[in-house]
Amino acid sequence: MKSTGSQHKKIIVIPCSGIGKAFGSISRDATYEVVENLRKDVTQTLCLALLVSGDQESLQLVRNNKVITVDGCPLQCAEKNVKLAGGNLAGSLRVVDAYKQNRQLKPRGVTFLDNDGQQMALALAEKIANKVDDLLEEQ
Amino acid sequence: MSEYLTTTFDKFELRVRNGFYYTKDDLWVSIENGKVKVGVSDYLQKTSGDIAFIEVAKAGSTVEKGKELGTVESAKATIALLSPMSGRVDKTNNELEAKPELINSDPYGKGWLAIIAPSNLNDDQRALLSADDYYKLMLQKLQTEHEKLESR
Amino acid sequence: MTETPEKKVGIISCSGEECVEGTISRVATRLVLGKLRPNETVTICLPLFLAGGREEREFARDYPTITVDGCDKMCAKVATERYSGEPASSIVVTDLTKNWQCPKLSARRKLDNETLTVTRKVADRIAEQVDDVLRHWV
Repeated sequence: MKSTGSQHKKIIVIPCSGIGKAFGSISRDATYEVVENLRKDVTQTLCLALLVSGDQESLQLVRNNKVITVDGCPLQCAEKNVKLAGGNLAGSLRVVDAYKQNRQLKPRGVTFLDNDGQQMALALAEKIANKVDDLLEEQ
Repeated sequence: MSEYLTTTFDKFELRVRNGFYYTKDDLWVSIENGKVKVGVSDYLQKTSGDIAFIEVAKAGSTVEKGKELGTVESAKATIALLSPMSGRVDKTNNELEAKPELINSDPYGKGWLAIIAPSNLNDDQRALLSADDYYKLMLQKLQTEHEKLESR
Repeated sequence: MTETPEKKVGIISCSGEECVEGTISRVATRLVLGKLRPNETVTICLPLFLAGGREEREFARDYPTITVDGCDKMCAKVATERYSGEPASSIVVTDLTKNWQCPKLSARRKLDNETLTVTRKVADRIAEQVDDVLRHWV
């Protein structure tokens, strides 16, 4: 299931993908924008649930690489679960922080992102990409 | 008497704090030493979604019963908060600017909005609902929601 | 003072970000929740469930659940068994696509027409399971 060449990626970006809220879908889409477009050569994503189910390959990946979590709501499940798994948490971003800077956007779609949702995902993806750059500079 | 009256709607537990008063617009009121603390009910915070912005009348300003005390805003909705009392705003909760999510996580505690020095406490208090009466109103609102879903 | 619980089925879906089947799980579940069986189902947010969400775990303990997993790692099923109890039914998308002899699907972010068709079939399957669970509700 893992993408080829995954062992060469440096930063793991993990969204919460919360299913009940638009912000959960936005966290997921923003992550894809980063790992498939903006910083595709230096990032990858990972199924959050694999950490909790004890998948050894996934656990090693988050412990041996820097991790950025992207949470849809203040409950911050991605951050919590990565910490519980002993992951190397290097950054935590929240969709609400992108919303605060783009107050005019009112995403409604949860199953499929509407226009406002897609725009918010792109804004958040830029923030994630900037954080990736910061972390790479530190290395 | 337990601290809360509770009900469940789908997977969500909704609570009404005993000992507080309520407005029909889902604000709670706690009266202490002649002053009135105000916040939003568990029902309102649940239906509003994750609160990202909060605006409340500044300390020192005058508010009128039934007129706008402030607003809470989420990606879902902007909701006007109507003051339960007339009086002067004594204090507002400064923590909410950086942490508006306190309204969602602790609506009856750390998520309080403002403290008002009331100008007409006895009269204004008579218009408020007891916890039991608000609980019944909340159940009616939930039933209406449920019927809307059923008719889809 | 809790109201009498209605008959509801909790659906716990993986959202496996790494593969298209994770997206199919997620979208199919949302279609059931929003369109196919809106009055009979509740979705359990898996990340919140894993992080210790009380409402999620209690619901999954007290009501029948259906887990929907993208692949045979079955994270949603494993989590449900661990934290709340055996689900009433489990669906694994890769099993379904194999049985249906679907062509290889790849669009994990934005579902193309082919993947959307498969997603709708998965949603129908979930809805059938919901009906089955409710029929056998004691």
